[in-house]
Amino acid sequence: MSFARLIRILRSASFRLPLIYAVLFVLSAGALFVTVYWTATAAMQDDMAAVLRTEAYQLAEVHRRGGLGGLAEQITRRMNFRTRGPIFYLLQAPSRRVVVGNLPGMPPVDGVVDFVPQTDTPEPEAQPSKLTGFGLTLSDGSFLLVAQDADRLSEMQHAIVRAFVWASGLALLLAIAGGALIGTSFLRRIDTITRTSLAIMEGDLSARIPVRGTYDEIDQLVASLNAMLSRIQQLMDGLRQVSSDIAHDLRTPLGRLRQHLEDARARATTTADYDAATDAAIEEADELLETFSALLRIAQVEAGAQKRGFTDVDLSDLVKSVGEAYQPAAEDSEHTLDYQIEDGVHLTGDRQLLAQMISNLVENALRHTPAGSTVSLALRKAGTGFEIEVADDGPGIPETEHERVFTRFYRLDRSRSTAGSGLGLALVKAIAGLHGLTIRLEDRKPGLGVVLMSS
Amino acid sequence: MKILLVEDDKQTADYIAKGLREHGHVVDHAGNGRDGLYLATGEKYDVMIVDRMLPAMDGLSLVKAARASSVRTPVLFLTTMGGIDDRVTGFEAGGDDYLVKPFAFAELLARVGALARRPPMVAATSLAAGDLEMDLLARTVTRAGKRIELLAQEFKILEYLLRHAGEVVTRTMLLEKVWDFHFDPKTNIVETHISRLRSKIDKGFDKPLLHTVRGAGYVIRAPD
Repeated sequence: MSFARLIRILRSASFRLPLIYAVLFVLSAGALFVTVYWTATAAMQDDMAAVLRTEAYQLAEVHRRGGLGGLAEQITRRMNFRTRGPIFYLLQAPSRRVVVGNLPGMPPVDGVVDFVPQTDTPEPEAQPSKLTGFGLTLSDGSFLLVAQDADRLSEMQHAIVRAFVWASGLALLLAIAGGALIGTSFLRRIDTITRTSLAIMEGDLSARIPVRGTYDEIDQLVASLNAMLSRIQQLMDGLRQVSSDIAHDLRTPLGRLRQHLEDARARATTTADYDAATDAAIEEADELLETFSALLRIAQVEAGAQKRGFTDVDLSDLVKSVGEAYQPAAEDSEHTLDYQIEDGVHLTGDRQLLAQMISNLVENALRHTPAGSTVSLALRKAGTGFEIEVADDGPGIPETEHERVFTRFYRLDRSRSTAGSGLGLALVKAIAGLHGLTIRLEDRKPGLGVVLMSS
Repeated sequence: MKILLVEDDKQTADYIAKGLREHGHVVDHAGNGRDGLYLATGEKYDVMIVDRMLPAMDGLSLVKAARASSVRTPVLFLTTMGGIDDRVTGFEAGGDDYLVKPFAFAELLARVGALARRPPMVAATSLAAGDLEMDLLARTVTRAGKRIELLAQEFKILEYLLRHAGEVVTRTMLLEKVWDFHFDPKTNIVETHISRLRSKIDKGFDKPLLHTVRGAGYVIRAPD
């Protein structure tokens, strides 16, 4: 593990988090330690004092019955049978003369007393460092002290401190080790994500971040990142497709435009020749401009910029007026255009875009069906909404092409020779989308039905 | 006619000004919005042609400011293609018509003519050209006293043509005014309707009223 990597692990969130928890743990353990320490010490001190007090009052009872002599005898006996740990005694006559005991004489103090005895007795190895005693002045003025070794208390205190230090140290070590471990694996996964994004930035749009299959938070993040990447790639492909389509589809009219101008220059001799060539060139230029304007319109509609201009539109009236607009043209091309339009269908939308959408569908039906065909335009209420239908009994569109006819510049092979930009249905789809309408193609055998449904 | 042209693109401005002058109009040209507003509020014009995108002050602000200074001159906005919102915002600012760039000069000329001679606000109850008469209340049309039956859309076309009798009305103007279509249909909607209208009002009469102006549009004109 390199130093830089160590630094990264130390700085990683997944390492810091367990570390913070470990510190918090140690702090709360510290608080617990202080409480335990003080409670245990106090309890032990109380316990010792109680034992000493009982002993002292028992001996005082002996003194009341048997006097100083009896007490001295009892103490001597108890010193010889150390039944309950090392207990020290001192019995002083009122003259401060030590009557009996294994402690040096001292000024009388009543109650609990802590002291370090200055002893002159032998067996120095048995000398306690610190004693806790209970002093009692007896009825004849003599002084009795019962004492016990206080070392047990400090031993217990040390044991508590030791346990705390070990436990905390171990917890800290585990936290650091665990943090480092998690940090390393976390970093490895983040590194994978970083490497993948770099690869994508360098142009490999197909790169994806591997999923571990644990379905944890990172896996979920990676999955949604991958989904986003797929969507971006799809959009980029679409954009690439559109740009190459534009380039390709505009080449043809531009080439023709150039040809008309060249013709005028090379061959025209009369004004009429020039006029004809110029008119042809203008027509090509208009077609180009129309294509551009359709592309811009699709882009604008797809961006949803018009929504703020939405008003209430009488769709029945609109569909009827579109139908009537195309009636003479349909008759001229020997089509039958009939319509069944229910009254009172309203919609919040952009009237002009809706008019263009329906016009495009009617125009498509008229243009792509042979003379003698019938085109029917219908508007009917369906459920809570409505349905617009433009159907014909012409050659139809193969089922396999249904999805693709809505893409920009898409044209069926048999339509390539007829005029048209291949943008009409793309615009229809965009306008329908803007108004929340779903579009469906139906094979009418024979013919095609385009159904727009409100949701 | 005296026309104010506010257009920053030199080439477009020259093209429009030259064309308008050739048709006998007087043209003042401003290259930016501020100069345009100065001229619009200082001089009297019959029509203003204002580009939407201008340096110093955009076309919308110019027209808003001019309207605020009580300038009532009709305004024709020039917008770039594809802008669907442009039309609405232009009308809101006080514009009277709009034309999408690039355009045919005949289209501009027809629209400028239509704007300058806007019919008075007083509602007419009848329109006429020669011996053709239209009763707007009874919604009937007669020629030389003979009743002519028209379909609703044919009536609307004829009404618009009669309101602009003697002026060229373009195909696009008819699409916008009669059908409210603000796009270019691939089908010859206008031509087919005009042809039916023509057969109803001109067929069987010596002197035709409805004329096609090649490369421009249609005009209804009383015979001399």
